[in-house]
Amino acid sequence: MKKWLTKRRRWLLVFLGLMGLGLWWFTGHDQRLYQPPLARVEAVHTLNTTRTQDQFENQDQEVTQRLRLRLLNGRQAGKTFEINNQYVKSMGLNQAYRVGDEVFLTQLQTAHRPYRATLGDRKRDRAVIMLFWLVTALLLLTLGRAGGFALLSVLINSVGLGLAIELDLKFQSWNAFWLFASLAVLFAFSSLSLVLGWSKKMVATLVATFLGTATAVGISYLLLQMTGERGVYYESMQYVTQIPRPLFLAETLLGSLGAVMDEATDIIATLFELTTLNPAIGVRELFLSGRNVGKSIMGPLVNVLFLIFMADTFPSALLYLKNGNSLAYTFNMNMSLGMVQSLVSGIGIVLTVPLVSCFAALLLGRRKVK
Amino acid sequence: MTTITALGLVLLGLMVLVGGKQGWMAFLSFLLNFGFLYLTILLIALQVPAVWVAVGSGLVVLAVTIFMGEDDLQVALPAFWTACLVAMIMLLVIIGVEHGVQVQGFGLEDSDDLEGMSLTIGVPFLSVTIAAAFLATLGAIAEAAMAVAAGLAEILQKHPTLPDQRLFLNGLAIGRQIIGTTLNTLFFGFVGGLLALLIWFFGLHYTWGAVLNNKIFVHELTLVLISFLAVIVTVPTTALVMIRRRHV
Repeated sequence: MKKWLTKRRRWLLVFLGLMGLGLWWFTGHDQRLYQPPLARVEAVHTLNTTRTQDQFENQDQEVTQRLRLRLLNGRQAGKTFEINNQYVKSMGLNQAYRVGDEVFLTQLQTAHRPYRATLGDRKRDRAVIMLFWLVTALLLLTLGRAGGFALLSVLINSVGLGLAIELDLKFQSWNAFWLFASLAVLFAFSSLSLVLGWSKKMVATLVATFLGTATAVGISYLLLQMTGERGVYYESMQYVTQIPRPLFLAETLLGSLGAVMDEATDIIATLFELTTLNPAIGVRELFLSGRNVGKSIMGPLVNVLFLIFMADTFPSALLYLKNGNSLAYTFNMNMSLGMVQSLVSGIGIVLTVPLVSCFAALLLGRRKVK
Repeated sequence: MTTITALGLVLLGLMVLVGGKQGWMAFLSFLLNFGFLYLTILLIALQVPAVWVAVGSGLVVLAVTIFMGEDDLQVALPAFWTACLVAMIMLLVIIGVEHGVQVQGFGLEDSDDLEGMSLTIGVPFLSVTIAAAFLATLGAIAEAAMAVAAGLAEILQKHPTLPDQRLFLNGLAIGRQIIGTTLNTLFFGFVGGLLALLIWFFGLHYTWGAVLNNKIFVHELTLVLISFLAVIVTVPTTALVMIRRRHV
């Protein structure tokens, strides 16, 4: 372990530690930077608790709290007042508060006593920023520069995503799918150049990624049309503010892009290594080894995306079941879209295996003939 | 035929065509995982404590994903033990984080979907959120553990006398190779479910401050960060587990 703690690492450790302390302090003192009024809970007492039973015989408790709040920003900073907070014990929507919690207020009215306000979002920036700091610190400490580049590519992609959304909103009438599809091309380009650097390897991976994703989305689109989209409930899509179908296809495309890139990188890296070890290796042999690598990655990768898509639907699926809906209806309204997304991504992940293997084998084989 | 059946059949066909027996196994593991996830929700709906259900079905999901994805026991066994260990560490992290951010249940943006629904269902949403976050990270943990374990097993086969410290460094080197693409897989995976919400935020001109404290957004962001963390923790842990198994 002694070798691990080089001089540079020691400085990095000190720097990250100081940054952590700084961020902790900052997120505890940034209340005045916020426009909307913020308040800290200074005292709590429970006024009453009543048992409830809804028409589906779910038993719960409704609690009313009396909160004393101190305003933290704005012209009235420092003033205190009391309001009631009602919540259900299972806390599906409203929450319980404890002393020390900080919360945003909406419709704050301070013209005369008693002050009135509605409780809004809790202040969560400290938890989020500290978690982000923890990820960065661990990434840099264990994986060094490679970790830094990985994070950088994610950040660049986030900025790109933000810009694309701005564009999408500007051209409402335009097809969201093609906008985000062209964005996917840029995403793949920037991520791969950061992860692999500029090389023949990177170009090969990039082209393979495009081919795999495009074919998968194309085939899936055909299947959607052929089956008349039976059992696909676009109306169950959440937070939709524009035509759902192109948006859903765009989501599916972006969702599978990362996994396809991941897989293509792995396969091509192995094939390049094989050609450096044995320059005389044949096209067919390369194709078969590519397929062998791909065969063992595809299963776990499909499951990675599937678990991400499905776990997200848990709370609302539970709510449907508890509201007396059937298993089938709960699936349709909450999971059918996630299932379609998982299957389309799965098709992309599987198709990429032969595509990448074939493409890389031909590329490396031809170079050898010259 | 419904679209889901058609897509499923095409996926099955392609998997068998490309992967033969292994492809068949991959499809089966996908189906089994779906079954276990659905069973998890059912058990939670029947008032079984959510976190315990998730731990139970999580172990099964890990076993299914790893042992059906990898035939070589020299890789699958250490990958499975690593994945279990990391999953337990992450469970503690998730419990801490979710208690800190308090993003259980639904946000104001969900109001339309909640209309006519009874929210007094008597199941604590905080533990449901913990269960869901735990299950969401498992795929990433399993994949990373398998990749590092496979690489290290190959190195050990070629150089059986390699000192422990070198093996550990080799593990980190493999981690360096996979980390870039793995983080992107997770990032895009989450964006694939988040795009509509982000368009909502941009369209209604939410301020940065509002987004950074928004219940739904923070929920999704913590999921992304937690799964990043899971992968980062998995890399050195796999190397340590491999080293320990050498000496047993």
